[in-house]
Amino acid sequence: MPDYAIETENLTKVFRTRWPRRELTAVDNISLRVPCGSTYGLLGPNGAGKTTFVKMLLSAAHPTAGRAVVFGRDSRDPAARAPIGYLPENHRFPTYLTGWGMLDFYGALSGMNAPDRKRRIPELLHQVGLDERAHHLRLGKYSKGMLQRVGLAQALMHAPKLLVLDEPSDGVDPVGRRQIRDVLHALEQKGVTIFLNSHLLAEVELFCREVAIIQKGKLALSGTVLELTSGSGYRLEIAGASESLETELRGRARTAGSQNGFLQLLFATRADANEALDLARGNNCEVETFGRTRSTLEEVFMKTVEGE
Amino acid sequence: MKSALIPFAALVRDTFSEAFARRIFWGFAGCSTMLLAFLVFIMRIDVVAGALATITIFGRAMPTTDVEGLVHQTQSVIAMAMYFFGMALSVFASAGLVAAVFEPGRIELLLSKPVSRTEILMGRYVGNLLVVAANVVYLTAGSWIIFGIKTGMWGVGYLLSSLFTIFIFAVLLAVIVLVGVLWESAAVAIMITFGIMIVTPILAQKDSLERLLSSEWSRDLLRTLYYVLPKTSDISVIIRHLILTEPVDSWMPVWSTALFGLVVLGAGILHFRRRSF
Repeated sequence: MPDYAIETENLTKVFRTRWPRRELTAVDNISLRVPCGSTYGLLGPNGAGKTTFVKMLLSAAHPTAGRAVVFGRDSRDPAARAPIGYLPENHRFPTYLTGWGMLDFYGALSGMNAPDRKRRIPELLHQVGLDERAHHLRLGKYSKGMLQRVGLAQALMHAPKLLVLDEPSDGVDPVGRRQIRDVLHALEQKGVTIFLNSHLLAEVELFCREVAIIQKGKLALSGTVLELTSGSGYRLEIAGASESLETELRGRARTAGSQNGFLQLLFATRADANEALDLARGNNCEVETFGRTRSTLEEVFMKTVEGE
Repeated sequence: MKSALIPFAALVRDTFSEAFARRIFWGFAGCSTMLLAFLVFIMRIDVVAGALATITIFGRAMPTTDVEGLVHQTQSVIAMAMYFFGMALSVFASAGLVAAVFEPGRIELLLSKPVSRTEILMGRYVGNLLVVAANVVYLTAGSWIIFGIKTGMWGVGYLLSSLFTIFIFAVLLAVIVLVGVLWESAAVAIMITFGIMIVTPILAQKDSLERLLSSEWSRDLLRTLYYVLPKTSDISVIIRHLILTEPVDSWMPVWSTALFGLVVLGAGILHFRRRSF
């Protein structure tokens, strides 16, 4: 089995119009590796090229240059798509089908035989929280949240090894989001690679181990969430420091300030922070917080896209 | 079922489901059923010892004695109505069925499955063709059985005519597929296919038209268009000959139309395989 679920090499997509003659580079030379079994988030502002990138993985769009490989196979080979489950963002499921019929159809397209489909459909509908009534209701009568759930069930029909989800919790209420997250966590435990394309940065931060940020078609940043959000210093927050101690600590810290009666100090190294902590404890100060500074994924994202 | 056939069968079945969800196909089937009911209950034919005794429509006796001629003429009228009116209705319904596949949000999901693009397009094409074929066979076979029971005439010419109706629809459907792949528009597909249906009977009068044209290049253009485009009008003449058990002069309209259909369908598949969505 290959080490990577997804590998792209200098993947590029240029859209050209003949009249008027225009070119738009939607994806520009992106090389990315998504390890098998990882939870990977793809982030970027609107129009950054995320959807085009995903479409090339699924061979819905053909690359202008470079290539995409899924579990060692070129994405243009239909067999490369056999282990993929996909939920598109602005999906348009056939409204004339029932929830059951839709899963049956997409299951058959994935090559599942009738007995397997019949066994799997009720299992999945139950797993995504759709009750018996919804099974035989036409999709035209489904709410947005129900469509997302049945869409997720569709992506899971053939027990894929790679799940590509485009805004999976879009239109789903908080309870449903939790349910979807639970389903995804269970899949992660089973070793399924999950590739998430979402605008909900808090959700990505909560779920994904690794992320990549695309900006104007280029790969702007990639790494583990832990690495990207870990700050470059250590924070100490204390109360009850004497004037002389405060002066000394302020002198040692990189930055310092006061808020709500607490002295907030930021140190460049762990050693400096520990020395300051010892000093504070030795002077009977009360320690409110101590630890490594962290950024949120949103802060990292904003810094990246705004070019800070 | 062999696993390789499961996706293709699903695509065909899905086309049936979508066609049945659209009322126009039920309208087609409803018209056919009404015609069959008319033949069963309203038109009464009494045949005595192989000769026509009386024919009664809405209770009124019609003056005729030629049972074979009457049946052939009636079958011709039904076949022509199905050929032109049924075809127009089918084109109208099918254009939407083909264009629907290319809707954003739907095509990406289809393409994400381990199915080749050719299979996706052919699944829709064959499904659509089978839906129309089912309607054509229902009306033709139904009326053929009714005529057979009422008159004892079981000639196969009328049954064969339905194959030509299905054939010409298969060619027009190839045009719908190509236009659908190129422009994703049901309206454009309808306009172009109807355009072919209107223009080709005019081109069929090429001998008369050539006499009206003064320049050689315009006559060449007329002949080229005639030979390249499907020959709907000439094939309707062949259908009539088959029903009336008359010899067919030339099969050129059939094979040249088939060639047109194959080229157009091939172009549609080729373009679909190369397209980015």
